[in-house]
Amino acid sequence: MQPNKHIWVVIPAYNEASVIARVIADVRRHECPVVVVDDASTDATATVAERAGAMVVRHPVNLGQGAALQTGLEMALEGGADIIVTFDADGQHRATDIDRLVDALARHGADYALGSRFLGHTINLPPSRRLLLKAAAWFTRLTSGLTLTDTHNGLRAMTRRGASAIRLRQNRMAHASEILSQIAASGLPYVEVPVTIEYSAYSLAKGQKLGDALAILIDLSAGRLHR
Amino acid sequence: MIAQLLLTMLLFGTLLYSWIEYRRAPLIGLLSMLAALTGLYFVWVPAHATWLAAFVGIGRGVDLLIYLWVAISLIILLNLHLKLRAQMEVITVLARKLAMANAESAATPK
Repeated sequence: MQPNKHIWVVIPAYNEASVIARVIADVRRHECPVVVVDDASTDATATVAERAGAMVVRHPVNLGQGAALQTGLEMALEGGADIIVTFDADGQHRATDIDRLVDALARHGADYALGSRFLGHTINLPPSRRLLLKAAAWFTRLTSGLTLTDTHNGLRAMTRRGASAIRLRQNRMAHASEILSQIAASGLPYVEVPVTIEYSAYSLAKGQKLGDALAILIDLSAGRLHR
Repeated sequence: MIAQLLLTMLLFGTLLYSWIEYRRAPLIGLLSMLAALTGLYFVWVPAHATWLAAFVGIGRGVDLLIYLWVAISLIILLNLHLKLRAQMEVITVLARKLAMANAESAATPK
């Protein structure tokens, strides 16, 4: 980890009461502030997260993961974060990868360290999901020019400068593609870092499906049609 | 002649709408403007509409005008969808500010 750097971890969450406490406990081992953005969950996510020691920002209405992520980034920037790590709430990321991402920022002089499960490891990744993720990487290469192996990985680290260049307008699933477009547009340096993603029945049930790809394409197209 | 005047008024209305929308959604503005101008041309030169309709295999010029009107309606529908998205962005900003203000007043980082 980088000494003397103020690192914040942002976790967007929606109805994750059953897993969020364990995720927060893992992340808090790094002794950094954890912001959970509760996207108007109908379960006890906010209460559980608060009890687990996270700072909880609660959306008054459900807006989507992209909106929650942007709220978390703004909260961390306002709080004075030097480095912001984004982390999924469903327990498929490993908190030990946070060190790798943060170290990679300093080592490569990058503003974004993007986790890649295909440079690292996957556990229980279904073949259909692998195919979908590969297609998404190809699509991103075509639309943003970024050559990445993994484009829909919620585990990332960014410097303050990097986070300030991100302004997500895609509230829902298309935010993962939008963030990459904004990284490309910013011209700031980025690096891919091997990470481990462990799929569970829970995270697979909550993850994106094949049919969501069409919704993402429509959202991205509509987003480009207006200012 | 009455029908021509009515259609002209409607298409001029569409043209005005396109002009206003152009600043916010240039592609939508241009498409609806193009469709409205084409419609105006065919309303006043129906022989060309009949010729073009026959050329593209539609049959009658009046059918071509109806198709054009459907196209204009779809473009306007798309524009309404984009307006709803824009509204959602405003709501998102408001909801975010509210959420952050509540969180800041409640706690400091632990």
